[in-house]
Amino acid sequence: MSRFKLRSWLAIVVFALTLVLPRTLSAHELLPGYLDLHETAAGQYSVLWKVPLQQGKRLPITPRFPEDCQLQGDLDSKLESSAWIYHGSLSCTSSLKGKPIVIDGLAAVGTDVLVRFQPADAVRPETHLLKPVKQTTILGTDVDSEPSGLVAYLRLGIEHILLGVDHLLLLLGLVMIVRDGWMLLKTVTAFTLANSITLSVSAIGIVQVPTAPLNAAIALSILFIGTEVVRFMRGQTSFTLRHPWVLACGFGLLHGFGYARGLAELGLPHHELLLALLLFNVGIEIGQDLFVVLVLALERAFRQLQIRWPLWVRRMPAWTIGCAGAYWTIETTLSLIKGGV
Amino acid sequence: MPLLFAHLMQTGFGGFYDGIAHLFLTPSDLLLVLGLALLAGQQGPQGGRLLLTLLPLSWGIGLAVGQRWGLDLTLALLTTVLFTLVGVLVALSLRLSAQVLAFTVAGSGLLFGLINGFTMPPAPSGLPLDVLGVVSAVAVLSVLISAQVAATRSTGFCIAVRVAGSWIAAAGLLSLGLLFKA
Repeated sequence: MSRFKLRSWLAIVVFALTLVLPRTLSAHELLPGYLDLHETAAGQYSVLWKVPLQQGKRLPITPRFPEDCQLQGDLDSKLESSAWIYHGSLSCTSSLKGKPIVIDGLAAVGTDVLVRFQPADAVRPETHLLKPVKQTTILGTDVDSEPSGLVAYLRLGIEHILLGVDHLLLLLGLVMIVRDGWMLLKTVTAFTLANSITLSVSAIGIVQVPTAPLNAAIALSILFIGTEVVRFMRGQTSFTLRHPWVLACGFGLLHGFGYARGLAELGLPHHELLLALLLFNVGIEIGQDLFVVLVLALERAFRQLQIRWPLWVRRMPAWTIGCAGAYWTIETTLSLIKGGV
Repeated sequence: MPLLFAHLMQTGFGGFYDGIAHLFLTPSDLLLVLGLALLAGQQGPQGGRLLLTLLPLSWGIGLAVGQRWGLDLTLALLTTVLFTLVGVLVALSLRLSAQVLAFTVAGSGLLFGLINGFTMPPAPSGLPLDVLGVVSAVAVLSVLISAQVAATRSTGFCIAVRVAGSWIAAAGLLSLGLLFKA
């Protein structure tokens, strides 16, 4: 096959992947639901129920309370930027301690729900994490023996990075443009510190960034890193290729806002938020470091096996990053133009 | 329930990570991949390259066929015998021809993939992420281990590899004994 024909076929394949893959592996958003039950008097509870929106639609999940409990009146509700917020009260014949709470529909939507339960006689609330594979929990019992409570935030952090294809592609791009171990250390550290800063200030509420422009900027960062990887592979240079840690710092600041978005919207009490934030951040760093170590180990293994990849295989990661970034940039920009916030 | 057998695990991180966990939590699959990676590494970089090409491919094909058939079979005796034999080959540090290695790798991958497929329901729509997870885990684990074995030529390391092979064989023999007793 002539070189021209091969290039034409590759162009068609890449174009098809550009249309199909990013749609399938959409940029992940942390979308946990949140149920807060606060005992105000014996058997009386105030209820806060936050249902995340996905692509503008309310996720079809609903809490199911024990049979001896009645919701008092209609739940007040209002729409925020990425969640429906319901306020109400729950009246039970006896305490909710030892009784189950079920979140219906969780398996179908594949998201998590944090349940906070504060009995009147408890100093601190207890936190339970419900998942698609565990849609029920017993309130007031032995929460420390399972991966719930504050440790749930550690798990959410790891989950956010492992399911965040956009964040992983950015990390892959950063690893690919770094030439040596010392620069890699500086780059990863810069990225970590930067995203920790914005994650913290955003989750605490010091700085608020609207979701739609943030999504567009994150998508644009991935497109940018894709072009830088291509430039690097062509042997060209630029300021960001000479100092990738600067790029990592800038994009770390940006992605930190993305990490914080889901956590901040949970509306946790201030004293719990700080510890939750720390654990969530540690979870993100664990996920990031695991991914970087895996990429480096694979690179080393390929060298050890003396594999000579064809040119199109060597270019595939850069194309994947660039195509996904381009798709998400167009998608999120259109969403922004249409009036997303 | 046969020994050394597990259904698809649910990590809560979605289908892809369920697939990865499936390999690491299914001892017979894990021991086979470890054994094949050590064996391929003992043959040098060429063996590692052959393993990287054939094992994920054959595993993936087996998985796809197994999912389509959906039989209630685990073939525990056959799989146990197979990874025991691979362990014995590693312990003996035998030099195999490329054809024999290719046949061993492809045959094992097809068989184990097929049995994996029996336990996994096909994805209702979209990408079969659990299948991708299993195949990716097989590819990554096999390339990392075989590359390290192929690149390290010190006597102590070669002995350690053979000892690891003997442990795999021993685990297989123990499982066989328990299978027959059961």
